[in-house]
This record gives sequence, structure tokens and C-alpha cells, in this order.
Amino acid sequence: MLGVGTSLSTRRTAGGIKPPTYKEHSLRSRIMPMPIPPQLKIPVGATKSGTITLCIAAGDHVHKYQKLAQLQMSAQGRSCIPVHAPTSGIVSAIEEAYVADHSQQKQVCIVLTTDGLDTSLPLEPAVDYRQLASEELVTAIRRAGIVGMGGAGFPAADKIDSAAHQAVDLLIINAAECEPYISADEALIRERAEGVVTGAAILQRASSARRCVIAIESSKPDAIQALEQAIEAQTNIAENCELILVASKYPAGSEKQLIQSVAGIEIPSGQLPARHGVLVHNAGTSYAAFQAVAQGKPCISRITTLSGQALKTPKNFEALIGCSVEFLFDICGIDKSLRAKTVLGGSLMGLQLPSDNAAVSKTTNCLIAAGSAELAPPAETQACIRCGFCADACPVRLLPQQLLAFSKTENNSQLLEHGLMDCIECGACDYVCPSHIPLVSIYQDSKAAIEAGRTNHERSEAWQQRFQYHQYRIKKEKDQAPTRTKAAPANKPAAESGESGESVSSNGDGQEFFSKEKASREIAAAVARVKARRAESKSVASEQDKPK
Amino acid sequence: MDTRAPFQHSGKNIAQLMQTLLLALLPGICASLWFFGYGILLNILIAGFFALAAETTMLRLRGKNIALHLADRSALVCAALFAIGIPPGAPWWLVALGIIFAIVVAKHLYGGLGQNPFNPAMCGYAMLLLAFPLQMTSWHLPNEVVEGALSVDSLGIPIAGAEQEILSPLSWRGFKQALLLSFPFAASSDFDMKAFTDGLAMATPLIEFKMAGHSALLAARDSGASLFSRESETAWEVINIGYLFGGLLLLYKRIISWHIPVAIIATVLVVSALFYAPGSVSIYGTPYLHLFGSATMIGAFFIATDPVSAATTRPGKIVYGIIIGLSIYSIRVWGSYLDSIAFAVLFGNFCAPALDQFCRPRIFGQGLSRANNESTKP
Repeated sequence: MLGVGTSLSTRRTAGGIKPPTYKEHSLRSRIMPMPIPPQLKIPVGATKSGTITLCIAAGDHVHKYQKLAQLQMSAQGRSCIPVHAPTSGIVSAIEEAYVADHSQQKQVCIVLTTDGLDTSLPLEPAVDYRQLASEELVTAIRRAGIVGMGGAGFPAADKIDSAAHQAVDLLIINAAECEPYISADEALIRERAEGVVTGAAILQRASSARRCVIAIESSKPDAIQALEQAIEAQTNIAENCELILVASKYPAGSEKQLIQSVAGIEIPSGQLPARHGVLVHNAGTSYAAFQAVAQGKPCISRITTLSGQALKTPKNFEALIGCSVEFLFDICGIDKSLRAKTVLGGSLMGLQLPSDNAAVSKTTNCLIAAGSAELAPPAETQACIRCGFCADACPVRLLPQQLLAFSKTENNSQLLEHGLMDCIECGACDYVCPSHIPLVSIYQDSKAAIEAGRTNHERSEAWQQRFQYHQYRIKKEKDQAPTRTKAAPANKPAAESGESGESVSSNGDGQEFFSKEKASREIAAAVARVKARRAESKSVASEQDKPK
Repeated sequence: MDTRAPFQHSGKNIAQLMQTLLLALLPGICASLWFFGYGILLNILIAGFFALAAETTMLRLRGKNIALHLADRSALVCAALFAIGIPPGAPWWLVALGIIFAIVVAKHLYGGLGQNPFNPAMCGYAMLLLAFPLQMTSWHLPNEVVEGALSVDSLGIPIAGAEQEILSPLSWRGFKQALLLSFPFAASSDFDMKAFTDGLAMATPLIEFKMAGHSALLAARDSGASLFSRESETAWEVINIGYLFGGLLLLYKRIISWHIPVAIIATVLVVSALFYAPGSVSIYGTPYLHLFGSATMIGAFFIATDPVSAATTRPGKIVYGIIIGLSIYSIRVWGSYLDSIAFAVLFGNFCAPALDQFCRPRIFGQGLSRANNESTKP
């Protein structure tokens, strides 16, 4: 039974797979608030990605919610991500450490030795978001340090800002959460649907979107019911917020695929959805926005799924940012002898973590302590038999079997022609491959090789231009005016007039010492000279021939 | 490699696919067995044996992991697809030659599993058809086999009253006969051979009148005869229906996609309906007989769908199927081979690489028309 304002998406998206999701294990219990760990390593960011400004120094005592530092991203001027203390304690060090996110590089972390008192600064007064203008809301979201909680980690405020210049028609709250194992959003919605719905309204107001849609997989009845009730309870929201159920298949929650199934819009390759009036935010981001605006709380925790056969009690945690992966696993009763590998994220796009020391970041949505039978290393790779299962599974309608062949031969032009760069690396092709070929890894390598080739090419092209200009300059110095004056009479009057016109314009430019047009004109003149010379010699030759 | 995503797998593997394919062949093989006797089974066994032997040898020569590659069962599938096309009663060396050619030349010399541009089974079959046309078109009609064999005992002396007795080709005698036909050197005396070979009618199931005639199944139903009785000549129609069932199983199990079989069947149907000349004694037979009177179903579901040598894109598969369907009819009607599946599929294989290049699905987000783009605006 669908409630009021709920509709089922009937739009088909290409491909997709239906793997077992194993979400039920972590959804058995409610979200567990976290005991305060003895130490937190709060990630601020990699030194490469921007300028880090610290607000505290080692040895300082800090309170919960206190701003510790901020990362000013180097690329964009406005984007900055502040981080806040998840609890009270003493800053014992500021060091580089590994973080449980997809960056796979060391980040600057603030090491906080907690005091267990959890004394907090007074929260900013909760305000009615309906009284605030969109800029004020964006500022509040930025100040709270909210990033894309789905895993992208892009500053949420910047995403709204980037769409501000376009008229946003539709805001989609992505609660699809299609990847196996991850149940953080589902748990969040089951228990705190009002927060998510209010957050959606806040994001809608902040981005001035006309409509707001919460998209969720149809296979999550509890969460759907909770959302329906929450939407109904908030009558003023219900007017323009609706719930759309999308087909339960992976990767239904991939941004562009979701937009297609919700709105029927196919976002062109290489373009941002904002250009087409669509903005997508994750359900976790929506809840964080609710906390930031309606409760005045900065982002100091997130819902993280802990799952896997090596855990006695898989569950969802409200994990404090900066707590170690090991601490969380210990609470869940990990049996380390059973564990074969640790995976960050879902089973299809996740990342294998080398150690448990990594700190939980704002994007750590799932941690899997996989048993030996679970997520087993693939069977031995066999030859591709071109069965085409991969092409049927591909949500982008690529031909993975063809891409594989072109990857093997490093046929880059065909790879690009066949859309390698449109691959979203969802892993659906790998999942169905009967030959167990690590397709995604191969494509990632090919992409990297093409990128490397491109930068190489650009660099060599730049050097070539410099060299050519160098030669041109030397040549110009060597034979300046004389050749020109010689050449001029040989040219036809039309060419002459053209040249005179050019000389005027170049005089006008004054400082111009190299331009393509000028060079091409000079080349044309040289060609004309050669032609004239040839014609002369020919006529001479024919005259010589005639007497015979 | 296993440190990179994805970590989860569907658990499908090539061996499973091949096993399902072999399973799907069973209804058709059983029907063949019923109508033609043990010959078909012997052919499959002989082909299977030599296929495994050739595969092992080639893997060894190529320095491959023999156990791993033999376990994929692709050689057995190749052997089965090859053997069901060989007439029962063909000598063992014919079968062995064909399958060895298929495995060694058509498969491994091109780089083994996944690398062969042409369907190996059909390469073997086509080679035999060109080199041994007589042996390859000599099918024995079951009734005459049995009756002929019955008229003499093992010493060649006619048995009294044998004319009324009708034995199944599945009897012990039928087995012995099939065995002797496959392994002529095993005959204990000239009598054996003479008795059995004399009793064989040399006939192809695709003789021209068959195509021009009426459905034997319908005739059998009209006359009240059993559809499975061997006298009513329903053999090929029943066998084709058996392979059709197997093909539907493959579709249901999603081993093959519908594109190629549907394109082939639809094309044969349309073309044979266009050229159908009622009352004519030529081979412009009814569409029904073109679909069920010969090997069209095997070809459409089992042979043309071999993924390695077929077109691999969805639009490409449709065109590929149409090309094969046209070739089947054209070669059968205007060409000189009534068993046109092999050549039609090989011709399709020729076209496959170009089809893959030119018939591609539109990539998500690419090549959007302006109309589509405008519709995205509110």
C-alpha cells in the first residue's frame, strides 16, 4: 500500500544487478549511540587538497562542538570545511594518519585524548529554518562542516552554491542505498525520518528548488512507512515533498541513474545534474543539515554500518568522527581469527582497508569485517567468452567485453570511442562475469594510463610549441627583410594587397611578435615563391625542349 | 588483484553455463535417440572422447593449466553440438576427424577458448561436409533399418515371419547395428556388415520432397497414428521441438539472450512465407517445415548463440540473427546444401566483428538529441 504522495517509479533504467544485500544483519538492532573512546583522531584533510588552518594547538583543552580547524580547498575560493570536536578532551597531537575513506592517502588529524566528561559548548540557538533566507541556510550548512555523507565527501554547501546560478527545479534526496551491506541510511530513516524530511525541506529552501523528492528503494518497507508518516506529520512540507520508490536493483542509487528513474532526465555525459535543474543530496546529508540548522549542531558524528561474518553483533552506530575502526569492531564483538579482510564501504565499490587503525571520517558509511567465506577472493580468471552478461548488467550501456579486448591491446582510441570514460566503476560487470575477470580494475588501469598519456601529450605539445617558436625566432632574426622584399615582386597583385593589409594590422598590434595567422601567411607567401620559381624553371625547361 | 572492488560475486562460472547447455541439449538428443537409435549416442561419445583428448593435448602443447581449462567443459559442449549434426551410422574416423579439426584448428590455433572467430563445431562440420559429402548426408531411416535387419538373423538367414515383427532401434540388435556402423572393423564377418548395411536406406532427412510436403506431425494426428511412432516420419519435427524446449530452457536460465534465436526464427519464417509456393514440388516449402523440418531450431538456439563467435552487442545480435536466417533459407533453397546451418552460422561469424563495431547501443548520457535535451527543461 502506498501512502499519499508516494509513487512508484515506472521508468526503466539500463542494466543493473540484484545481489544479496545482507543488510538484514545490521538492521536487526537500533542505531547504537557510541561510548566515548579514549582517543579520537579527527581528520581535517590531506595537505595536498588545500590549506589547513588550525584553531587550536597541541595541549589545548577543547569542548564538544568546538571548532578545531578548517580546510580551505585550494581549487575553489569559497569552499572550506570546518571540523569540530566530537567530545571534550585535550588535544595531544596533530599528526598525519590514515583515514577510513577512499582517498587512500594520509591526512592531517587532530588527536584528541578524551576526558569522558563530554562537556559541550552551548549550541547555537535552534532557529526556524522557514524564517531564514537561502544564503543564511547555506552559511549554516557550511559552518557545520557538512560534506556529502553518501561517500563523495564534497562540501554540501558548495554543491548547493554551484547550483545556485541555475534555476533548480528538483531536489532529490537519495535514500536508495542500493549497495550490499550498507544500511546506514535505512537505519537512519527508520528511526529519525522526521529529521531527514525536515533536512530535505531545509536543503530545498537553501537551494531554492521548486520540488523535492525523496527517492528510496521499494524493498525497504519500514523506512518507506517511516518517511510517509514523517511527511504526513509535517503538513507544510507535504505540499511539495513527495516520496518516489525506485526499483530495487544495484546501482539504483548512482546519481545519474537515480535522476533518470525519478525524473526521467538523462544527464548528458560529462555534465553536472545542476545544469539540468536537478540537485541530488544523500539522506545522511539531509539529516546533518537538519541537525545543523534546526538543532544548531555541527557535524560531529555519522551513522556507520558495521557488518560482516566476523562480527558477533553487526549493527549501525552513531559513530563519532575520528574514532578508530578497531574501537567500533571491538564493540561489535569482532573475532579476529574469523576475519579475512576489512572493507570500507559496500561490497561492490568498497575499498580494502590495510589496518584497523584508520579513523572514521564524515564519509565512512560502512565497515565490513568479512569472514573467510564471505567476499572471498575471486576464483581463477578465465578467458572472456563474450557472453555479454556484463553488457546486460551495465547501467551505462557500455560493452565491457569489448572494452576488455581494447584494454588488452591498449587501443586507446577505441576505448574512448566505446565510452570507457563514462564507466562509473559500479562493479556490476565484475559481479556477473562467469570468467571472474577483474573488469573494473582493468578499466581503472586503462583510465589511468589514458590520463597519463594525455598529460604527457599535453606537456610534449607545449614543449614542441616552445621549440617551434624558438626556431621561428632564430630564423626570423637570420633572414629578416631581404627575403621579403625579394619575394614581394614575384607574388601576384592579389597576394600583395593581402600582405599590405596584414602589415598594417600587425603594425597596429605593435607588441605582437608571434601569431598563428601571421605565420600561416608567411608560409603561404613562401609556397607562392616556390611555385613561382618552379613555374619559371618549367617554362625554361619547356623552351629548352622545344627546339629538339 | 583481490584487494580491489568489487569483492562480491554472483558465483556464476563458465563450467555451470556449459553444463546447463549440455542439459538443454537432452530433450533433442533423447528424441534423436528414439527415432534414429544408438548411432547419435555413439557419435556423441566418440566426439566427446576425441574432443577431450585433443583439448588435453593442445593445452599441454600450449603450456596451459590442463585441469583448470578442462574443467570449463567447453570442449564437451563443442563435441555435443558437433555430434548431433553428424548422421548416425557415420564411421568413427569421420567423427574423430571432424572434432579434432574443430578443437585443434578452429579453436586452439586461434588462441583457445574465447579467441576463436568461427564456431569450432561448425568448422568441423563444414570441413566434413566438403570433404566427405556422401558420408555426411547418409542418414538411415529407422524403419527400414529395423526391417532390413530383421529379415536376416546374425548368420544372414532370413527369419520366418520377421516381416510382421517390428523392433525398435533401441533394441539390442539396433545397438549392435549402430556399433558396427560406427566401428566397421569390429564386424566378425562379412555377413554382419552386409546384413546391416544392406538394410540401411541411404537418405537424407532433408530430401527435397520433405520440404515441399506436409507436416508429418499433422498427418500423423489426422490419421490417428502416434506422434512418436517411427513409421509416421515425424522424427525431425519432434526432434526440433525437443531442441526448441532446450532453447527455451536456456532463455529461461538466461544463458542466452532472446535476440539471436528470435531474429533467426522470425527471418526464416518471413522469408519462407514470402517465397512459399503451395502445390509446388520444389523446396519452397511451408514456413512450418522450414522451421521444424530440418535443423533450424538447433541452429537458432544452440549453434548461432555460441557467444565467442557471435555478435556481442544487442542490436548486433539482431542483425546477426537476420543474416543467419537469410543465409539458412538462401543456402537451403538456392544453394547446394540442404543442411545450411553450418555455412549460415560461419557466414554470420564473418560479419560479427563488423556488427560489433557498427551496431552499438547508445551509451548513457551520450548522443542525446536536442529534443531530449529540451525535454529536460522544466
